[in-house]
Amino acid sequence: MKKVLAMFLVIAMGLSMVACGGTDKTGDNGDKSVTLNVVTSYGGDDGNRKNFEDAVKAYEQDTGNKVNDGSATSNEEWKAKVITDFETGSEPDVLFFFTNADAEPFITSGKVVSIEEIRTVYPDYAKNMKESMMATASDGKHYAVPSSGFWENMFVNTEVLAACGVSVPGPDYTWEQFLIDCQKIKDAGYTPIACSLFEVPHYWFEFMVMNNGTIDNQLDVPTVDANGNLVENATAKKWIAALEDLKTLYDKGFFPNNTLTATDAETVAMFGEGEAAFLIDGSWKVGYFTSNHGDELENYAISYVPAKGSRSASEAIGGISMGYFITTKAWNDPAKREAAIKFIEHMTSDEVMSKFVTTEVTALVNGAKPSGLNELQQSAADANSKITGVVGAVQDVISSEAKGDLFSNIQKVVTGQMTAKEAVESAMKLNK
Amino acid sequence: MIYKRKTPLLVFLIPAFLFLVVYLYYPFLQNIINTFMDIEGLGRPASGFNEVWYENYQRLFTDPNLRTALKNTLILTVCTVVFQVGIALVLALMVDSIRVGGQVFRTVYFFPIVISATALGLMFNLIFLYRGGMINQLLLNLGQLDYEIKANGKMIVQWIDWKDVEHFMTTMFSPVIWQYVGFYFVIIVTGLNNIPSELFEAAEIDGASGLKKIRYITLPLLKNVLFTCLILAITGSLKVFDLPWVMFGAGMPENQGWLTGTYMYDQTFNKMNVDYGSTIAVLIVVLGVLMSTLANKIFKRSDEY
Repeated sequence: MKKVLAMFLVIAMGLSMVACGGTDKTGDNGDKSVTLNVVTSYGGDDGNRKNFEDAVKAYEQDTGNKVNDGSATSNEEWKAKVITDFETGSEPDVLFFFTNADAEPFITSGKVVSIEEIRTVYPDYAKNMKESMMATASDGKHYAVPSSGFWENMFVNTEVLAACGVSVPGPDYTWEQFLIDCQKIKDAGYTPIACSLFEVPHYWFEFMVMNNGTIDNQLDVPTVDANGNLVENATAKKWIAALEDLKTLYDKGFFPNNTLTATDAETVAMFGEGEAAFLIDGSWKVGYFTSNHGDELENYAISYVPAKGSRSASEAIGGISMGYFITTKAWNDPAKREAAIKFIEHMTSDEVMSKFVTTEVTALVNGAKPSGLNELQQSAADANSKITGVVGAVQDVISSEAKGDLFSNIQKVVTGQMTAKEAVESAMKLNK
Repeated sequence: MIYKRKTPLLVFLIPAFLFLVVYLYYPFLQNIINTFMDIEGLGRPASGFNEVWYENYQRLFTDPNLRTALKNTLILTVCTVVFQVGIALVLALMVDSIRVGGQVFRTVYFFPIVISATALGLMFNLIFLYRGGMINQLLLNLGQLDYEIKANGKMIVQWIDWKDVEHFMTTMFSPVIWQYVGFYFVIIVTGLNNIPSELFEAAEIDGASGLKKIRYITLPLLKNVLFTCLILAITGSLKVFDLPWVMFGAGMPENQGWLTGTYMYDQTFNKMNVDYGSTIAVLIVVLGVLMSTLANKIFKRSDEY
C-alpha cells in the first residue's frame, strides 16, 4: 500500500512539474508557438475585462501564440506587486501599467525596453500613436505605447435641474452663476453637490486648484522650507484658496448633510436617484450609470465644472495614464520578442482600441471610432468636443502619504478645526 | 514522565516550532527592524535607515491621530470587558439555569461569530444608513424625526447621522460588542458545566437562594474562566479592525474614529508609510503585553477552588 502511495505521489509531482515547466510548444502548423506572460489591470471587475478577453482570444487565434494572463484589478497593492516582481526577476513579458512616476523603478533599472530601441528593429512600432501623447520617462525616452485615457468633468442630473428651474451648464459656466444655482437647488429641497468629502474630495480639489490658477501651472506643487514651514508662493496660495473654496461650499450647505461620513457610493446613489444635481467624477462613471440606471440615462448629462479667474469651464482634468511596456527579458528572448511586439501592436491597433474606448481620450493618430453610444456616452462625447484644454491630476504628482494627509484634513478645514494653510503645510511636509 | 522515548515527541513538536519561527517570530523581528527604516511602499525595499533612526517612535508621541486611536481603543477595551464579558456572563448564568432549550440559546448566541465581519459590517451599514437606513426609517415612522414639506411638495427629513462625531462611538462599538458576546458566552457556559453539581445541591440543602449560589459558588469557581475571558477581551480589543474598517473606513468621522488597528492598516496600506505602520504594530503588541500583565496582577489567577 505504501509503495502504491509513494508511486502515486511521485507521478503527481512529476506531472505538476511538467505542468509548471516548459511553455513553448509546436503549433499545428509546425511553427513554434510562444506563451507570453502578460500582466494588465484589466482583471477582476474592470469595465473592459470582456473586451480584453476578446482581444486576447483574437490575438491567440491569429498568431497561434498563447497568452498567460496575470491581470488583476489596479490598486496600490497591485502596483507594489508588479514593482516587486521586477525586483525579484519575476517580471512578465508584456506589462500594461501606469506611465507616471510609478514606472520609474523598473525604467531606471533597465528592465523595460524603450520605444526608440524597439524602432531600430521594428520601425513601424506604435506609429499609429501621437508621439506628443506618449509619456516621457525621466531619461527623456518613451517606453509605453499609450492606451485609452480618462477625463474628469461634471455630471448633472437634468431632472433635478429642471425641477429647480436651473438650466444645464454650458462651457461658459461661471463660479458666480454656480453659487446662485446651488442656492436655488438647495431652496427647492435638493442637494446641490453629490460629493463625499470623507472619501473622494479630490475631484473637487483638483478643479478648485485649477480655478485659482491656470491649466499651465496646474501641476505645480507647494513646498516647505528647511524648517518645515510652507513657502507661501503663488502655488501655495492657489492651493490654500482651493481649500477655502471648498469650505465656502460646505458652509453654504451645498454638500450633502452627511458629506463627512458618507461614502462615495452613497453620494453617487443620491445623484443617480434624483436627490442631487451636480457630481464631479470620471469617464469610468459613465459605465456605472449605464449599468445601474440604464433605463433613465436621459436624466443625466455631462456638463462643465464652473470656472473662475483665468480658467475656462471648458478646461478639464484628463490624460492617458497607462500603456503597454515590453520587458527587457522578453526583448532579449528571440522567440518572445516577435510575439510581444505583435501582441502590443494588436492591442493598440485602431480597431481594438475603438472597442475599449467610448468617450475617453486616446493617442491614436486617426482617433478612436466607437459606435453605438448611449445617451450619456453621447452627452460625454458632445461635451468633450467642446473641451479646450486637458491637464493631468495634480494629486498624481504628490506622494501617497502627502495625498492621504491633505485629503483627510479637508474635513478639518471645512469644519474650521484647521486652517487651509495648516492643511497644505502638513501635507507638504510629508511630500517626498 | 510517562514517555520513555522523547524522540517521537520532538518529531511532532519541531515542525510546529519551525512554522512559528518562520511565519511569526521572524516576521515580527523583521517588523521591528522595519520601524527604523524608510520604506515607502508595500513590497518595496527600504531606502535605508531613517535620518533619525528612532523618528517613528518619536512620532508616536506627537501624532494626534494616534492619540485619538489609543483613546478610542482604550474605551473599546473597557466596553469590551464590561459589556461583552458582562453580557456573556449574565446570559450564560441564565441559560445554565434553564432545564430545556439551553442548546438552542447556545447556538443562537454563538451564531454571530461564524458570520464574516465584512458581511456584518455591510449589514450594520444598512441599519445605520443616513438616508433611509433601518433605524432612521423606524424613527421616522414613530414620529421621532423632524421633517419639512417644501412648496413643490418635496419632503425633507432631518435624518440622524449615526456616524457623525456625536454618535460614532455607539455606532462603532455596539456591533463589535454584539458580535463577540457569543464567543465569551460559550467559554463561560463551558466553565459553568465544569462546576460540580453536588456543590449546588449542598447549598440548596443549606437554604442558599439563587443569587447566593451565584455569589458564593458560581463566581468564585468561574474566576479562572473569567480571567481567561478578560485577557482575550483586552488583547482582542487592541486588534479590532475588520468591522470598524468596513463601517467607518479611514478615521471617519473627521479623524475621530481611529482605532489602533485601523490606523495601522491605513498608514501601511493606504498611506504607504510602511515603517510607521510597523511602529504602530509594535506599539499594539507592547500594549497588549502590558495590559495583559496588568490584568494578570490585578485579577491574580487562582488554582484553588
